Amino acid sequence: MVNVIFNKVQKAFGSVVAIPDLNLEIGSGEFVSLLGPSGCGKTTTLRMLAGLEQPTGGEIRIGERAVNNVAPGERDIAMVFQSYALYPHMTVGQNIAYPLKKRGVPKSEHPARIKAVADLLQLGPLLERRPKQLSGGQQQRVALGRALVRDPKVFLLDEPLSNLDAKLRAHMRTELIELHRRLGKTMVYVTHDQLEAMTMSTRIAVMHQGHLQQFATPSEIYNRPANTFVASFIGTPSMTLVEAEIEMAEGAAFLLVGGQRFPLPPSLVMADSRHRRPITLGVRPEDISIASGEAARASVKLVEPTGHESIVTLDLGGAHFVMRAAGDVALRLGEAVPIALRIDRLHFFDRESGQRINTDAERPAEFRSIAR
Amino acid sequence: MTSRLSTVILNIVTWTLVAVIAFPLVWMVLTSLKPQSELFTIPPGFLPREVTFEHYRILLTDTPFLRYFVNSAILATSTTLLVVTVGALGAYSLVRFRYRGRETLAGLVLFTYLLPSVVLIIPLYLMMVKIGLSNTLASLVIAYTTFSLPYALWLLRSFMAGIPEDLESAALVDGASRMGAFFDVILPQALPGIISTALFTFILAWNEYLYALVLVNSDQSRPLTTGVMNMLITAFNIDWSLLMAASVMMSIPLIIIFAFLQSYLTRGFGAGGVKG
Ligand SMILES: Nc1ncnc2c1ncn2[C@@H]1O[C@H](COP(=O)(O)OP(=O)(O)OP(=O)(O)O)[C@@H](O)[C@H]1O
Ligand SMILES: [Mg+2]
Repeated sequence: MVNVIFNKVQKAFGSVVAIPDLNLEIGSGEFVSLLGPSGCGKTTTLRMLAGLEQPTGGEIRIGERAVNNVAPGERDIAMVFQSYALYPHMTVGQNIAYPLKKRGVPKSEHPARIKAVADLLQLGPLLERRPKQLSGGQQQRVALGRALVRDPKVFLLDEPLSNLDAKLRAHMRTELIELHRRLGKTMVYVTHDQLEAMTMSTRIAVMHQGHLQQFATPSEIYNRPANTFVASFIGTPSMTLVEAEIEMAEGAAFLLVGGQRFPLPPSLVMADSRHRRPITLGVRPEDISIASGEAARASVKLVEPTGHESIVTLDLGGAHFVMRAAGDVALRLGEAVPIALRIDRLHFFDRESGQRINTDAERPAEFRSIAR
Repeated sequence: MTSRLSTVILNIVTWTLVAVIAFPLVWMVLTSLKPQSELFTIPPGFLPREVTFEHYRILLTDTPFLRYFVNSAILATSTTLLVVTVGALGAYSLVRFRYRGRETLAGLVLFTYLLPSVVLIIPLYLMMVKIGLSNTLASLVIAYTTFSLPYALWLLRSFMAGIPEDLESAALVDGASRMGAFFDVILPQALPGIISTALFTFILAWNEYLYALVLVNSDQSRPLTTGVMNMLITAFNIDWSLLMAASVMMSIPLIIIFAFLQSYLTRGFGAGGVKG
């Protein structure tokens, strides 16, 4: 069942077009992340869904209802702000009670509902304190509590973990996943942290300059990025993107890169490939390795040990590849090593449009983006 | 060593300042308690030899002092309410809503301070006569509002600009109306600003003399400042004892208000609800 729909939604601030044309359908109970670099329009999208920003075109639906002209308070949403936005002059308990009060929930029900939320988020001992007497992580839990105390159709979360330190962030990440599993509510989660998006989401909407780049499951996004932007944005270290060519000769296909020629199974390449086609080749760091036998040789440019692994930069005839290697790999700078590519895991993109042209790109869109 | 010395000097300077500022006030109180005969003795005595409350009694029972007092109280309170209400809503609008000429409007408002207020008295008086408000407290409320409001708008604007927009967005999402969010979230946050605006306006309306002199000429609606002057200072005689007693009583409301609101002024609720 579909829960949230963006239909040809546009948003311009004066002459600045933040969102040119957004189409997005979010299913009921999904955990969808809006992921993208700073300024790509994530917050704007979320605020439009919350009713805090009026779209300049198109339609937004929540459930069965078009909500363009519905006030934020009547949309049946709850939101956690990046800044938490706790009311400083109210205690934690009053903060959590505020949405109940404003929605006319009978006063007799408040204590039980506040207690339920306080138990869930371990806020019990903090109820009498004011927000400024709390740590960042506690404030974040109160903000969550204020959203959870109601029973809205959709939860909106705008980078709720970005103010926490790394350890607390990892902890809250698992808490949120657990919470989503338990509540089964639709959640729309804004983040620019790909790790958060990858670990928490049922589907990720990758955005860039206001455009939706790809909307698919985390594994789909990682394994079959729709274009070079998604390819380079997802994954650390990021995917190597180099100029290459695909050559079709007598029913066989070859990849030409860095002066080397790698045979390809023809099934990997779209049938309409021209005789010799310029492409952008994408190789994830784990899909290139040191070959055991005789193979094309690349020279070692840089070795960056991180402990459990080493990130190695290789030069193959002028094309630079990043390789993930064992932490104790013994490589000397300038040394020429034989390399192997995992042919079935290569990514081919059109040189001009940047769109993915692997044969899997021909598959129908529904198939590529089923919810987990 | 040097720091000890500078502390001593700082203390001396501060206490000298306090003494210089406080002396006339103390003198005022003491004079109001002296019998008439002690006022002009040479050398002047600091403490009254004999304490009398006679001047206060005369003021309260034999003169229209109480009526002036009530007039002033009404005048200052209504001006303050009007200025704070209009100022708070106006400042909110200047901070939150986007419309043409918003910045220009804010600038123009300050522009009004460039004109010396003396220049405005006569036109204002003529206007009051035209709309039939001359000789009323209402005319003074309007006049005082014209010069308190710009200040109030600017002060409250800067206060409200410091309140994160997210707080209000959160209230809206939580189910509040615009007005509800304003009352529940903005007002409590802007309280220190509102209180200082209210204090400023109240003191101004309480102490103003020139406009009151020109705009109000009937004994019925005179405020304290002009009323007391009119009553106690004539071309031939100044009744110092009564004047001092009147001055003491005029200061009392301000002292009480300050005592109550001072803690609010310095406390504020502070930030901390919003990170980042
Ligand atoms: N009120 C506004 N007025 C004008 N431009 C705005 C306004 N709000 C956002 N924008 C512009 O819209 C674009 C998208 O902004 P948005 O806040 O949605 O980015 P974001 O993806 O949330 O970025 P971040 O990760 O930094 O929070 C940006 O180019 C921004 O400058
Ligand atoms: Mg943002």
